[in-house]
Amino acid sequence: MSLFSRFMDGWRKYRKPGYYDEFDYHWTMTVDLDSCTGCEACMTACQAENNIPLVGEEELAKGREIQWIRIERYWEGEYPNAKLNFMPMMCQHCDAAPCETVCPVSATYHNQDGLNTQIYNRCIGTRSCAVYCPYEVRYFNYYNHHWDSPLDQQLNPDVSVRGKGVMEKCTFCIQRIRDAKDLAKDDDRRRVRDGEVQPACVQSCPTKALTFGDRKDTESQVYQSMNNPRAYKVLDELNTDSSVVYLKKVDA
Amino acid sequence: MPNIDRREFLKLVGAGGVGAGAGFMLKESKKDPTEYLIPYVVAPEDFSSGIATWYNSVCSMCSAGCGISVRTREGRAKKIEGNPSHPVNQGRLCGMGQAGLQVLYNPDRITEPLLRTGERGAMSFEQITWEDGLGQLAERLELLRAARRGNNVCLLSEGTNGHLAQLFESFMRQLGSNRLHHYDFDHPHTLYAANQGFFGQDHLPYYDLQNTRLLLSFGADYLTNWISPLHHSLGFGASRQRQEEERGRFVQIEPRMSISGAAADEWVAASPGTEGILALGMANHMVSQGVYQGADRAAWSAALSDYSPSMVAEQTGVSESTITRLADDFAGTQPSLAIGGGAAANHSNGVDMLVAVNVLNYLAGNVGREGGLLFNPQPAGTVSRPHQASYRSMLELAEAAQQGEIDVLIINGTNPVFTLPAAAEFREALDAIPLVVSLSSFFDETTVLADLILPSNSYLESWGDNFPEAGVGFRVGAVSQPVVSPLYNTRATGDIILSLAQRIGMSSTIPWTSMEECIKDGWRRIYEQGDPQTLAQGFEEFWISLLKAGVWGETTTGTTSFEPDQNIIAGIGVAAPEFSGSEQDYPFILHPYLSPNFHDGRGANLPWMQERPDPMTSVVYGSWVELNPTTAEELGLIEGDLVDIESPHGQVLAPVFIYPAIMPNVIAMPIGQGHSEYGRYAKDRGANPLEILSPQMEPITGNLATSATRVRLVATGRHIDLVKTSGTSRDLGRNIVQTTGDEGHEVSDAGLNSIPITELT
Repeated sequence: MSLFSRFMDGWRKYRKPGYYDEFDYHWTMTVDLDSCTGCEACMTACQAENNIPLVGEEELAKGREIQWIRIERYWEGEYPNAKLNFMPMMCQHCDAAPCETVCPVSATYHNQDGLNTQIYNRCIGTRSCAVYCPYEVRYFNYYNHHWDSPLDQQLNPDVSVRGKGVMEKCTFCIQRIRDAKDLAKDDDRRRVRDGEVQPACVQSCPTKALTFGDRKDTESQVYQSMNNPRAYKVLDELNTDSSVVYLKKVDA
Repeated sequence: MPNIDRREFLKLVGAGGVGAGAGFMLKESKKDPTEYLIPYVVAPEDFSSGIATWYNSVCSMCSAGCGISVRTREGRAKKIEGNPSHPVNQGRLCGMGQAGLQVLYNPDRITEPLLRTGERGAMSFEQITWEDGLGQLAERLELLRAARRGNNVCLLSEGTNGHLAQLFESFMRQLGSNRLHHYDFDHPHTLYAANQGFFGQDHLPYYDLQNTRLLLSFGADYLTNWISPLHHSLGFGASRQRQEEERGRFVQIEPRMSISGAAADEWVAASPGTEGILALGMANHMVSQGVYQGADRAAWSAALSDYSPSMVAEQTGVSESTITRLADDFAGTQPSLAIGGGAAANHSNGVDMLVAVNVLNYLAGNVGREGGLLFNPQPAGTVSRPHQASYRSMLELAEAAQQGEIDVLIINGTNPVFTLPAAAEFREALDAIPLVVSLSSFFDETTVLADLILPSNSYLESWGDNFPEAGVGFRVGAVSQPVVSPLYNTRATGDIILSLAQRIGMSSTIPWTSMEECIKDGWRRIYEQGDPQTLAQGFEEFWISLLKAGVWGETTTGTTSFEPDQNIIAGIGVAAPEFSGSEQDYPFILHPYLSPNFHDGRGANLPWMQERPDPMTSVVYGSWVELNPTTAEELGLIEGDLVDIESPHGQVLAPVFIYPAIMPNVIAMPIGQGHSEYGRYAKDRGANPLEILSPQMEPITGNLATSATRVRLVATGRHIDLVKTSGTSRDLGRNIVQTTGDEGHEVSDAGLNSIPITELT
């Protein structure tokens, strides 16, 4: 079998919706918009955990920020009936991810746990994935960013630092998932317990608006949460089949 | 064996490397795709992540006193998370608390003791030794003490409430000085005074947000900066996540929508400074409608007779129907809770306004019950309450300095030159002080004017403890321990005071040689008051378990009964707010608010905070002035137009931001930017609205009435592009944020199991 046909074989396998049913986990996050206060604690937690570079004011003015999770804000109505709704937005880890199909070098793929994953050392920086992503959650390193010494001493040794020309995005804190799996293995458990792994944003959320877990475990908190009648997916009409479920804001 | 030098060795390895690489590729291409699709984002299989060491400590970024767990690897702090055992924040932590790592690893820290060589403020310092620095200061203090002029020494510290505060106190007493002031810009002086006046309690009650069914917040941005924002956020979240019929309702009353306003179910804009009048209007309605059935009903009725809803509606700009509806809701929803803070509390009538809020709680029966307001027991640990300097005390200090009554000023961790309005002339007062000593670890606006800098450790390198005020309704204390060894040649504030005490010969009353010893000794006394079970384990065991847990608590609760005094009832009333500047010359009311990112400006040197978009506007790296859309249209201003904001006391320049939820006659500015010093990330960025505040005070407390300044806007004709991360701030029919009221987008199972896309062939 030629290398190409092997590649296409694998490709088909990964493009098959629901293929991860064969695997142990299907990581999912729920975001309760009714509880989110827009405080942005999640953003700082993510920056600290994932070695996200600071791009500076000039780059920000060009729209080149790197924020794996961000808070979007949507105003509704006019004074005095103006309302502001916040929406945390991060990689939705779509099971039918538009970004995955366009990468010319397959630097972005779907892993066995239902995570949309970026291979930094394969990425050649065409930025096609960022164009195709309807959620605009992919961020490009336009430069080799540096940390003013000694700020670099804070860098998390479990997460690689990305270089110039590489696309990056939310990983659902894959390093924490990996640690939890290792721990489960060491404890002779087949599975990670519910609540054992929490991405940095979920861990820090002051109102507990974020929930994370394995949706294949029907006992899990996230499974309960995603079956809340308020559950919906953002831009669901695009059939991205995302792994982030939002709970509608309650209009009281 | 051939003699291979390093170059040869590398050559060989290099050649081998190429071969291995090619082999690797060949091997890889034969693998199943799952095997070679291993990116660096997933660590290689043979990579085992290291074991982190976690230390429990206390956050010092604001005065709430949240417990933290710091993750360290190889002696370096990597991440700060909330301590799950600490009842205040229960494992959660705000952004600024997490950015404490950038205080520790800030590139602009002062690394050595410094002595001024040139003019004051010219930033010319020479490096000296600790011996030298401490020696010079101790000598000066000793001379003053010997000459019985100890009172000419002033210690001005940021708010501290643990054993460090006690150490300050005994040190200053030994010197013979009563000039020990704790100064925090955001200290809630008026809240303390209102609770003292109405409830007769000198400490704050616990506000039970979690269990309340209806919260009325009069200006308190309880999710961002009011007393204990993390604890309130937890309560808010818990309330939101209850079943729909038990879901708490939140109403926010303020002239400019804050984060808490955005999170609330209802936002009511009342004229700035009239919040207290509004509260009394509601109280009047409650009494006249017979909701309150206490024996002293007649007294209440008489006291509130001036505040009929119609008269209140006229003064506050809130419609009569809204006032009565809110009052009925407040009385009818049990338990309910009213709180006050923010701009409303920092007005000329701040104390009376907060008493009016207490009145509402009393009349609705919310005092001393779950879901309402619960009295705290006396805090554990420290005996006396440190003196919190109000604006008036700071003016008195400046005056004393001008009179030559201050010979030595020691400043610890506070930055009054930045947070006091220019009208206070504090900078000028410093000029009159012969020796200004700063214990700060940053060149902030106050420290650059110092003669001697004895840099203290960051809180992540120090011993300390904290007894959170307001707390959680029972006694809680937490010990702060160093999580890394000091990065630089700095010393803990407590250790600096201890070595000064030793040099001056105070060792009989201040016997400790280190802060660790002092803290441990203090906790021994708390331990000795413990129950038999605590005592049985022995102190060393207790101490170790305390350090491990990071927190200690006692579930004693405070008193629940309360009856207001007749004189207090008769004295209830809220005067109309007073503003400086005439309405003709200065048509707008300036509403400065604490920035969620920078607090009172202390967070401006943290790059994470600078790059984090402001939650409400998404602006980064700058400041702005918020205008109602109609106001902006009338003035012909668009976003990014630079305007001068002029008050009778000065002017600042800022770009316009059109803000949909602010009253048309109010303009708002965030506090925190506009530093002239304070390191590379903060310096010369944005504007500081505090500079132009009029020096008006609340008469009872001497608290600065920060919301009582009128301003005018002068367009400069210049324009900049505001740097912000949001594009359009409207949904534009994309239906991104959905609410339960939405039609036509009902969630079905299909919503969660999308139609599978056609399989690729």
